[in-house]
Amino acid sequence: MSPSSKQTTEPDNIRVRIYRFDPETDREPRYESYEVPRTPRMRIMDVLDYIHEIKEVDFGYRWLCGTKKCGTCAVNVNGSPKLACWEEAEQEMTIEPLSNLPLVRDLVTSRDPFEAFLAKLSPLLVRRRDYPGFPEPLSEQIMAPTVHLRDCIQCLACQSACPVLQQPDSGFAGPALLVALSELAQDPRDEADRARLADEVAQVFKCVSCYECERVCPTEIPIVSEAIQPLKRLVYRRGEAAAARRAHAFLDVVKARGRAEAAPIALKTKGISLNALRLALRLMRRGKLSLVDVFPKRPSPGMEAMRKTYQSDGDAK
Amino acid sequence: MKWRYAYFPGCSAKGTCRELDLSTHAVADLFDVELKELENPGCTGAREFRAVSEQLHLTANGRILALAEREGCDLVAVCDTCLLNLTETNRRLKADRAARDAVNRALASEGLAFKGEREVKHFLWVMTEDLGEERLKERVVRPLRGLKVAPFYGCHIQRPSTVYGAGAAGEAPALDRLCRLLGGEVVEYPGASKCCGFHVVSVEERIAVRMSGGHLSNAKSNGAQCIVTPCPLCHTVFDAYQPSIEREFRSKYEVPVLHVSQLAGLAFGLSAAAVALSRHVVGCESVLAHIGYGAAQAAASVR
Repeated sequence: MSPSSKQTTEPDNIRVRIYRFDPETDREPRYESYEVPRTPRMRIMDVLDYIHEIKEVDFGYRWLCGTKKCGTCAVNVNGSPKLACWEEAEQEMTIEPLSNLPLVRDLVTSRDPFEAFLAKLSPLLVRRRDYPGFPEPLSEQIMAPTVHLRDCIQCLACQSACPVLQQPDSGFAGPALLVALSELAQDPRDEADRARLADEVAQVFKCVSCYECERVCPTEIPIVSEAIQPLKRLVYRRGEAAAARRAHAFLDVVKARGRAEAAPIALKTKGISLNALRLALRLMRRGKLSLVDVFPKRPSPGMEAMRKTYQSDGDAK
Repeated sequence: MKWRYAYFPGCSAKGTCRELDLSTHAVADLFDVELKELENPGCTGAREFRAVSEQLHLTANGRILALAEREGCDLVAVCDTCLLNLTETNRRLKADRAARDAVNRALASEGLAFKGEREVKHFLWVMTEDLGEERLKERVVRPLRGLKVAPFYGCHIQRPSTVYGAGAAGEAPALDRLCRLLGGEVVEYPGASKCCGFHVVSVEERIAVRMSGGHLSNAKSNGAQCIVTPCPLCHTVFDAYQPSIEREFRSKYEVPVLHVSQLAGLAFGLSAAAVALSRHVVGCESVLAHIGYGAAQAAASVR
């Protein structure tokens, strides 16, 4: 049945546009429009099923469990990633495949790059010493930091919403992989060098902290605060990484000058580069930066008090 | 009626975006709003203190909140990232007794204590909620004459929903309503609520430049004559880095980027000098020309 054939005109019908593209046979993507009669509590997936089964349209979409467990049915609905089996159908929907993943056909994307990246992060517990065997006693307290992370169903909605992954060759792992890595990194049984993996392989400091991943996560994992921040702290404690040096420089400048200042932080972390000089000149021309900003400041009593308070926390050296 | 707030300008407003501090004070003065700047407040830590330790993050922000409580008033921030750090800490310390006790132990050496008596607000919300849209409307003496304004909210004034609530995104954002009441036309474009990329600029500048460049190009092709933002970090990426964006995308954009207090100040009749419009990398002459700011006046105050 072609999309232009007879359409129902019930006002309550759900109007849906579906992205169609088969890279092997089609020259370019197109959208096909359908009307689907609304039924009570209709899910996005019910709409897709109706078009496939009742209207007999042969298009690619994917699902397995239908109950928010398997994580295979996420699609972009009106520009935002949603789990088709779990979200209610909207009156007007443009349904597209997830972003930032290679397309297989129509609404189906390939998970291969995700799985390949996951394999580079040693995705299983690494144990080098002997342990008492199975089952091992694990207290609730020990597992508490990762309790939410274990809700991840790897539906990749967050990977689709991540603006850094949208940039080609960013090198960034993306939120779903950082959740997987963080779950292991915060497991007291694990003995792998997770700080190195987080910094060098997953490149955790490329996270922009935009919280788009949290906005779209169907299992409501606090990805930034419970997966990404702990990984950053791990890298910071290891101390070698450039990102750790920057956090350190930032803190030093705040303590010495009373607040963060761009120029001295950049000087401490990166030194002088042509690019930095060009930016500095641009800012000086408009009075946004002055040479005074790079010279040390005389400490005031108030700054001294602030420094002491910051220092009174054990790990905030 | 007089309004009184403790004011935390943050590093940008005291450094590379001093025009934000100046224009915020200029607008506050028009409405008899007193902004009492905190002395030696330190830093909310941007995204860096969190990467060092959670305790440092809570102590540094708890200290600023305690200083505001000592002034006996709510706390006003003018930076989205500061706003999130402070709002999140305020909520956490109000609810989590162990965290509050730990912070108060650190603050005791200065005779400070977090009690959980005050709220944190963005200056934008002071305008739209506390002063109220009616009062703002009455004060518009130089309407923006349909100036096409592309609002750019910034992440940390709207996300995460665990801090701001899930409904916040649904209602017309305060910034859109403000632009309209000032006489501007709000440009719809994909990107208004997305990320500018500031927090990756020192890690890999190209990622930030490409992210913000996409939004800038979208805003421009949808007719934007300027961008307005409540966040100095977004401002920095769009204004100070605009020449880098133009190099990366091999196009000329020349879109002026205004702080909320600057755009509002102009509509409320303040001079370009009073809102420090000359301190931008991308000149704002075209905005002044559109709103009918005297041509000679404009030339004199922008350069």
